[in-house]
Amino acid sequence: MRGADYVIRRIGFALLTIFIAITINFFLFRVLPGNVVSDLARVPHATPQLRHALTVEFGLDRPKWEQYLIYLRELLHGSMGISFATQQPVSQLLFNDLKNTIPMVAIGTLGAIVVGIGTGVLSAWRRGSASDHVSTNLAIAFYAFPTQFLGLMLLILLGGLLPTSGMENPYAGVFGPQSTMARFQDIGLHLILPALTLLLTLYGEFTLIMRSSMLETLGEDYVLTARAKGLSDRRIIARHVVRNALLPIATLVALSIGWIVGGAILVEYIFSWPGIGQALWQAINQRDYPMLQGGFLILAVSVVVLNLLADLAYFKLDPRISE
Amino acid sequence: MRVRARLGRCVIALPLALAAAVSLASCNSTGSGTGAGGVLHIGTTYPIDSMNPFVAQSDYSYAVYEYIYPQLVQYNSKLGIEPDFARSWSTSADGRTWTFHTVPHAKWSDGKPLTAADVAWTINEVMKYRNGPAGQWAGLLEHMIGASAPNPTTVVIRYSTAVANVLEQMQGMSVLPRQVWAPYFTGKGTGIKTFQNVPPANGQPMVSGGPFELVQYKANQYALFKRNPNWWGPKPKIEGFGLQFFSNADAMVQALKDHQVDFIGEYTPPTAVTALKKAGFVVTTTPSLSMKTFIINTNPHKTTHRELLNPLVREAIEYATDRQQIIKTAWLGLAQPGSTIIAPADGSWHDPNINVVPFNLSKAGQLLDQAGYKMGPNGLRIANGHPMRYSVIFPPDERGTGDRTFQIMQSDLQKIGISITQQNMDDSATFNAISAPNNKYETFDMAMWDWVPPVDPDFMLSVLTCAQLGNNSDSGYCNPNYDRMYARQSTLMDSSARRELIWQMQQYMYSARPYIILDYPDIIEAHSPNWTGFTVSPVMGSVNSLSTQTLIQVHQS
Repeated sequence: MRGADYVIRRIGFALLTIFIAITINFFLFRVLPGNVVSDLARVPHATPQLRHALTVEFGLDRPKWEQYLIYLRELLHGSMGISFATQQPVSQLLFNDLKNTIPMVAIGTLGAIVVGIGTGVLSAWRRGSASDHVSTNLAIAFYAFPTQFLGLMLLILLGGLLPTSGMENPYAGVFGPQSTMARFQDIGLHLILPALTLLLTLYGEFTLIMRSSMLETLGEDYVLTARAKGLSDRRIIARHVVRNALLPIATLVALSIGWIVGGAILVEYIFSWPGIGQALWQAINQRDYPMLQGGFLILAVSVVVLNLLADLAYFKLDPRISE
Repeated sequence: MRVRARLGRCVIALPLALAAAVSLASCNSTGSGTGAGGVLHIGTTYPIDSMNPFVAQSDYSYAVYEYIYPQLVQYNSKLGIEPDFARSWSTSADGRTWTFHTVPHAKWSDGKPLTAADVAWTINEVMKYRNGPAGQWAGLLEHMIGASAPNPTTVVIRYSTAVANVLEQMQGMSVLPRQVWAPYFTGKGTGIKTFQNVPPANGQPMVSGGPFELVQYKANQYALFKRNPNWWGPKPKIEGFGLQFFSNADAMVQALKDHQVDFIGEYTPPTAVTALKKAGFVVTTTPSLSMKTFIINTNPHKTTHRELLNPLVREAIEYATDRQQIIKTAWLGLAQPGSTIIAPADGSWHDPNINVVPFNLSKAGQLLDQAGYKMGPNGLRIANGHPMRYSVIFPPDERGTGDRTFQIMQSDLQKIGISITQQNMDDSATFNAISAPNNKYETFDMAMWDWVPPVDPDFMLSVLTCAQLGNNSDSGYCNPNYDRMYARQSTLMDSSARRELIWQMQQYMYSARPYIILDYPDIIEAHSPNWTGFTVSPVMGSVNSLSTQTLIQVHQS
C-alpha cells in the first residue's frame, strides 16, 4: 500500500511538473524581447498591411490569456500548432529533427555511460595504480574540454578520413546507384565523429562518479566480510561492489537519457547535424513560438518521465525508500 | 603529397574509429560524380529556409528559384538586364504599359506548355493575395494594375504610374507553374504559404521551368538538382548540382579541403583564404553590394542623448573612424572602404564624387569642441550635463569582423572623449531595441548592422524613408525632403535623370549621417581547381539569384 502511494504521488507530481512546464514554455518566450512579425515582415517594401496580416495569421493580435487557452486546447487535441517560420506542422518538424538527433545522441550518451562506468570501475579497483592515474586524469581532461573545441579538433584531425558534416552523402543514390548496405555504412560513418565527440565529453563525469561511488562501497564492512570469506576480487567487485555503487549512477543515467531528445546543440552545430538542438536554437532566434513550445514540451516531458522512471527504479533498487 | 598525408591519417585513426570494419571505405574519395558533365557539389552556411517562395527569406532559396523557375529577364555579368524567358520587350510612351515577348514553344519539365499565360496568371494571382499570404511579393508589384496574355508569346503588364525599375522587379519575380499552384490560390489563400513545394513523395522531381529541376530536398541538409530535360534555353554543361548546408564556416572550409564539396560560396571567412590558397584551391574575391553600417539614431523624437541629433557629433564620429585600420585588421584587406549607401560595386548607381572625411582625431575633437561638448574630468566629454557614454546595439551577424571593428572604433572614440560599449543581442531583439518603444525609435543611441541590398538601388534608398519606420528602418531616420526625392526617382524612366537624382540622394544621406558606412566586404569564394566557368557577381557570388549563368557555364577543367 505504501508502495502504491509512492507511485501515485510520483506520477501526480510528474503530471503537475509537465503542466507547469507547459505554462512556463508559453509565457517565457513571449517575455523575450523581439517579435516574429518584425522579423518576417522585413522584406523589400514591407507594408503595414503585411505586418497586420502576419499578426492576425499568427493569432498574436489576441490577448495573451486567449492565446494560452487556445494553446492548451490545441495540445489536448494533440496539435502543437504550425511553425511561424516554415508554415509547417510543428509535430512533423520535431519528429524529423528527433529522428535525426536520437540515434546520434543515444549512441554518444549510451557509449559514454558504458565507457564511463567501465573506466570508473577499473580505476577504483586499481586505485593508486598508474592506470588509475591515467584514467582519472583523462576523464577530468575530457570532462573539462569545451565540447566545441574537442569537436573542432576531431573535425580537423579526422576530416578526410571520416565525413565531417551532415548525416549522409547526399549524392549517392541520386546520381548513381547505392545499395541499402552501402547507405547504412554511409550513415554509420557520418555518425562516428559527432557520437564520438559526445561520448568523450560525457564519459568523464560517469567515470569520476562511478569511481568515487565504488571507492565508498569498497570500504564497506560487507566487502571486508566477502574478502574474509575468501571470495575472489573479481567476484567481490561484480557481485557486491558494482551493484551497490550503481545507485548514484542511476539518477545520472536517467537524467542523461532524458536529455537525449534535447539534442546536443554544440555537437550538432559543429558537424552540421540537422537535429532538434539546432532546430530549437533557430526557433529561439526567430521567435517561432509554436516550435519553441513544442520542442521544450517534448524536452520537459522526456526529462520528467525519465526522472519518474529513476524514482521508480530507486524504489525497487533501494529498499530503504519503501520503509 | 596529399595522398600520403591522407593515407597516414587513415592509419592513425583506425584504432579510434568506432566502426573499424567500414572505416577503410571512408578513405575513398567522396568528390564529385563523374557522370556526363559531372555534378558540382556546392557548400554553403546559409541554408534554404523554405522551398515556398511566399515563405522563404534566405539568399539560397531565391538562388534556387532562379534556377528552377523562369524569370522574364535576368542580369548579365555587368549587372545590365538581358533577356531570359522574355526575348524582347517594349514600353508605352507614358511608361505605364510594358509588353514582353516570351520564348515560343517552351515547356515545363512535366511537358505542359510554358507560355505568356503562365506569366499573366502568376502576376494576377499574386496581386489578389498581396495584402495577405502573398505579401512577400508585394514589393515586386508596386503600382501594378494587372497583366494579360493576348497570345501565347505576349504578356502585357499595366501600371498606374510610370515605374523606373520594372525590369529589375521582373527579374526578381518567378513564374510559377499554374498546374501546381492553382489549387492554393483559392479562397483565403491559406494554402499559399503552407504548401511545402518540395519534390513529391513518389520520387518525381518538382515541376520546373528553369535549367534545372529539384530532385531531392532535405530541410537543413541538402538540395539536389538535375538538368531539366525540357529546358528551353542553353543546355548546362553539368549533369546536376547539389547544395549542401553547413552549420558553420569552419566545417564548410574543412569539407572543401577534404574534397567533400567542390565549391564554397559567399560566406567563406577571410581567415581561411591563405590556407585554401596554399592547399591549391582557387580563391576569388569580388567587391560586393553589401555594407557594414555604424548606425546613429537620428530620429527627431529621440528622448535621450539628444546631442546625437547634432550633425557635428555625427561628423566627429566619422572623423574618428579609421576605415583603413578596420579593413586591414578586421577584414585582412578583403573589403573596400565605405562611403555611401550605394556600394561602388553597383556600377553607375554609386556616386563616386562623395568626399569621404579622412580619419583625423584632432579634427574630430575640434568638432566636438565647436559643438560645445567640453572634456570632463574622467576623459569623457560632457553633453547636456552627462558624459558622452553610449551603448552600441550589436547583433550576431556582426560577430567576428564586427567585434574587431568595434574594438578599433571604441579605442579611437575614447581618445576624443566618447565612450561606447557593446550591447549584444540576437537579431529579433536588435530590431526591437532599435525601434523601441512601439516603433518610435526614441531610446536607442547607436548600433552596428549590415545591409545586403539588391542591384537596383530602389530598395536601399527606401530603407531611409519615413514609410519604413517600423519595417525596414534601422536608424529611425525620417525626412520628408528625402521621401520626396525617393518617390521621384522611382518614376523616372530616363536612367540618366534617375542616376543624377540618386547621386543627390546619396550626397544628402552622407551629410545627414544616419549611417556611417564602414566598409563593403568582398565576397570570398573558393573552389577546386578541377572546376572552371564561375561567373562572379557582387550579390551572393557566383551562384546567385540574379542570373543562371554560373551553373549553365560551369564545367570540369
